[in-house]
Formats: sequence, structure tokens, C-alpha cells
Amino acid sequence: MEWFTDIFLDYTLRTVALGSALLGITAGSLGGFALLRRQSLLGDAISHAALPGIAIAFLLTGSKAPLVLILGAALAGWLGAALIASVTLRTRIKYDSALGIMLSVFFGFGLVLLTYIQKQPDANQAGLESFLFGQAAALIQRDVMVILSIGTVIIFLMVLLWKEFKMLSFDPDFGATLGFPIRKLDHILTALFVIAIVIGLQTVGVVLMSAMIIAPAAAARQWTDRLGHMILAAALFGAISGVGGAVTSSRVGNLPTGPTIVLIVSAIVVISLLFAPNRGIVFRKVREWKAGKNLRVDAVLVDLFTLASQHTSKEYPHSERVLDVMSTISGPARRTLHLLETLGLARQIDQNNWSLTPEGVERAQTVIRNQFGGSLST
Amino acid sequence: MDSRPNLNKRMDHAIDVRDLTVAYREKPVLWDVDLQVPAGVLLAIVGPNGAGKTTLIKSILGLIKSAAGSVLIHGRPYSEQRSSVAYVPQRGSVDWDFPTNVLDVVTMGLYGKLGWIRRPGKAERVEALKALAQVGMEEFADRQISQLSGGQQQRVFLARALVQDARVYFMDEPFQGVDATTERAIVDLLRSLREKGRTVVVVHHDLQTVPEYFDRVMLLNVRRIASGTVPEVFNEENLRATYGGRVAFVSALATPDDH
Repeated sequence: MEWFTDIFLDYTLRTVALGSALLGITAGSLGGFALLRRQSLLGDAISHAALPGIAIAFLLTGSKAPLVLILGAALAGWLGAALIASVTLRTRIKYDSALGIMLSVFFGFGLVLLTYIQKQPDANQAGLESFLFGQAAALIQRDVMVILSIGTVIIFLMVLLWKEFKMLSFDPDFGATLGFPIRKLDHILTALFVIAIVIGLQTVGVVLMSAMIIAPAAAARQWTDRLGHMILAAALFGAISGVGGAVTSSRVGNLPTGPTIVLIVSAIVVISLLFAPNRGIVFRKVREWKAGKNLRVDAVLVDLFTLASQHTSKEYPHSERVLDVMSTISGPARRTLHLLETLGLARQIDQNNWSLTPEGVERAQTVIRNQFGGSLST
Repeated sequence: MDSRPNLNKRMDHAIDVRDLTVAYREKPVLWDVDLQVPAGVLLAIVGPNGAGKTTLIKSILGLIKSAAGSVLIHGRPYSEQRSSVAYVPQRGSVDWDFPTNVLDVVTMGLYGKLGWIRRPGKAERVEALKALAQVGMEEFADRQISQLSGGQQQRVFLARALVQDARVYFMDEPFQGVDATTERAIVDLLRSLREKGRTVVVVHHDLQTVPEYFDRVMLLNVRRIASGTVPEVFNEENLRATYGGRVAFVSALATPDDH
């Protein structure tokens, strides 16, 4: 529990953890809307497109103040998003191609500018390249204050326009017929999205930032079927990974914070995909297996009953071989027969022969009533 | 038809579309379409795939930009009449895996009345439940929309339009791929809307049921082929003109002696 007290006592760790957590909350919650609107990859394009904006903002002002760089990044990111939309609308280039083109063009241009800046004989230029992969450890209180204030405004607007954003995400055409300016709402949500991304660039970097948008939302979707709960869960997962990444990288030597945050959020995604109730893969498999088992039990039960019906006693024994031949869905009947025995529905007469118990007869009749509507003809 | 429409006369119609033209990359999708619908009727729009049926509805509702034409709803431009128009989009146009429940989707029909920022409350819940009852879905209020069958999804969409309490309804293929129960429910609903003097325009695929379900029909294939009451215009000649080559299929349906 040492790390726990560290968060409160260690100034650097506290700053980094708080900044990363705020970032995780903002990116995670807006990422939820992006996921539902199938715009997850747009986040990737926006974060890459922001790089030249950072460089240009620095070249124009000579300042590395977070607000200046964020503004530059936001303008470039927004321009990238607008160009993607415009190219998709006005040319025959499809959305995914437009996205790929803008991402690489802007990112390439940003790299050129960064290299140019680094060659300048100016001591002040150092540190801009940290936007590539992020440098959370370098977060200072001033940065955290900026993330906090911008993040608060974003969350406030998101809650205020909740119903409008929900409608925009679910059925924009219908919203338009109600008289809502859907295009404007789309612009507002995209703008919030852009800002949520650029405030994270210093911490996580342009290359990995899209994980902070996509991963918490994708994990959250697994756990709930309500929009509100999903956005809350995404924010929570974002915060957990932020704090977790900050603490882990401070405890384990030489681990970079940004990539560690991304690894933790990825672990949350994997766990969610596997183990979430209802939507998780493991639960689905278990459910399918149970359903399959019930089907096999019922099938063999009905087969035994059908065979016995041709004799005077419903409990007349029959050989396992016959059941193997009869069962169309289950393959060998032996395992299912042993299961029936455990359930008290059938008993083994000798090596090869099985018969129904009175309970088994009753159950078989119920199954037949439910499945075949009363009568069974074979 | 009078080329300079008399304004008073245009007031009589629930829907009055003139010269509507929509083009997609220079290719006309709708060409100079006129449509007048009196109030209190059920109108089917039929035509082959790609005839522009959905485009017609969407451009009337301003969802698709038209190159030319005007739309009046009860004598006034659509932009002034939004609150008296309800829209049922194609079921497949939304993601049914969206994390929300039936009641929530139906409540969306009231967002226009609520206006900006205000959240739906108890009163909206009551109205939404009432609309769900009208389509026989009140027990499904808390059901996840991903767990609905196709027919149930369609009825949820209809309930969402019902809460709007509109004078004019536009429905895009509500009968598409629904079960018999839902088909029955939709037909009953259409009739009860007509009894209340509402006007309903339905994009419809099944030519067989047109005479049974609808009073009026519009045959569309980029241009308006014909529009009027079912006995007047739903005949072999017009269907041939609308569907072109597939006449064998068409003529069996349209010959009135068959019925």
C-alpha cells in the first residue's frame, strides 16, 4: 500500500496521476459517443493531425505554454477532421481512405516541422518531440490545471446536451425532422472530441492517444446496456488506467508513463471482452454450452422414451448403440446417459442397456409436450 | 392542372409537393414530381427499387437537399410545420445494438416538444407508455432494443412517431420483413390514424396488399407515373409503366377480375 500514500505525499506522482486521471475521464467519456457513432478511428486521425498544429503554434509564438500548444493542436486537429468530412462528401474517395490520407499527410507534415524546429540553434526548442509519444512524467501543476479546466468545460457541455447528443448518435435523421440542427450538433460534438484529444497529447502522445479514446469506451460497452452507465464506466476505466499508469511507471524503473497507461487500458479491454456478463466471450460460451447440454439431455431422454413407448413399460431398457444411432445432434450418447443418471432420470441396467426412471418418464413427457405440442410421431 | 396554383386550393391538401427534383451527381433521382394528398387518407408510394421512394420522403422532410420544388404541409412550408409531421425511418437505418431501452427510444419522439437541454420526465414517460400500448408493446418498455425482433423494432419506431401526435405521418417501409402480428398491428394503427383524420404516407413494397390497406396510391419511378385513388390509378397500364419489364409479375396482381 506504499504507492497509495505516495499519491498523496509525492508531489510529482500526485501531479502525474491527477493529470492522467482527468485525461482518462475526458477522453473516455467522449470516446463513448465516438464509439457509438462509429468514429473511433477519427480520434486517431485527429490526434495525428494535431502534430503540425503544435509545431506551427510554437514557430509562431516561440512559446511552449500548454494553452498555446493546445490551441494550435486543436485547430490543426479540427482542420483534419473537417477535411476528412469534406473529401468524403465532395469526392468519390471513401471515408476510410480519406481518413488514412489525412492522418498520414498531417502527421508527415508535423514530423517535417518538428525536425526543422530541432535543427534551430535555439535552446528553447527541446521537448516538442515528446508530443510524439507523450511525456507524462513531465506534467507539472500548470498542465494539470489546464487539463482540469478544459476537461470540466467539456464534461459540463456533454451533460448539458446529453439528450441531443444521444439522438445525434442513435438516429440523426429523426432528430433533424424534430427540428434540431443536427449538423451544428455534429460540429459541437466533434469540437469537444478534438479538444478532449489534444489535451491528452502531452501525456500520451499523438501516436497512442487514440487508445485513450477507443479502449475505455469499448471496454465499457461490454458491461452495460444503458448509455449513461456506459459513459460513466468509460470515464472510470480511463481514470483507473491514468492513475494505474502513473503509479506503475513510478514504482517500476524506466517505464514510460504514456505507454503504460495504454497497456493498462488495453488489459481492461481484454478482461471486458472475455469476462463481462452477457456480452463477454466466456459467458457466451458457457451459456451456449449449457444450452447445448440441455438439448442433448432432452434429446436422449425423448429417444429413450420413444423406444420404450413401443413396449408395455415406459421404463423398458434399451441399448446405448441404438441411442447413438438415434441421436442426431449429440454424437455418442454415453456421456449424456451418465449425466441423466446423475440427474436421476435414467439408470444403467447392465453394461450396455439403459432405462428411464419414473422421474425420467415424467420429464420426457413434459419435453415432448413443450416441443411437439402434445403428440409425438416417429 | 393549373400551372399557376391557386393558393386557396393548395391549402386544402395535407401534403402538396410541386416540381420536386433531386439529383445525385448530375443524375436525377427524382424528376419534377408533383404530389397532392388530401387530409385523412392512407397513401401508398410504390415503385421498383431505386425509383426514389425513400428519396421522395427524405426530401419532403428536408433530409436530402432538393434541386428544385416546393413542399407545403397543410398549406404552409414544411419548416413551419415540423411539429405536425412525424417520420418513421426504415428500421435498418439505425444501430439496434445502441445501448438504450424501448421506452427511451419512444421518448425521443417527444424531444422536439421538450426543446433544448430539458430532460424528459414523468409526463413524457406516461405518454411514451401510452404510445407503446397502442402498438401492443407496453410490456417491452424496459427491454433492451437489441433484444427485439424485427417486427418489435418496427412497432417501437411506430410508437415513437405516435407520441409526436402529428397530423401527417411519413413511414418508410414499415411492413418490410415484419411478422404477421406486427403487420396486423400496423394496419389497425393506420386505420385508427385515418379515423382521427390524420394523413399517412407509406412507402410500400407489397403490391398485393395495396388495394386492401390503402385509399390512394402513387406510382413512382424517378417521375411520377400516376397518383390518385386506388380504383382510379392502380391498374395494369400504370404498373407496366412503373415496373417496366417485369410485367408478368405485375399483371397478375393488377387485373381486377382476379379479386
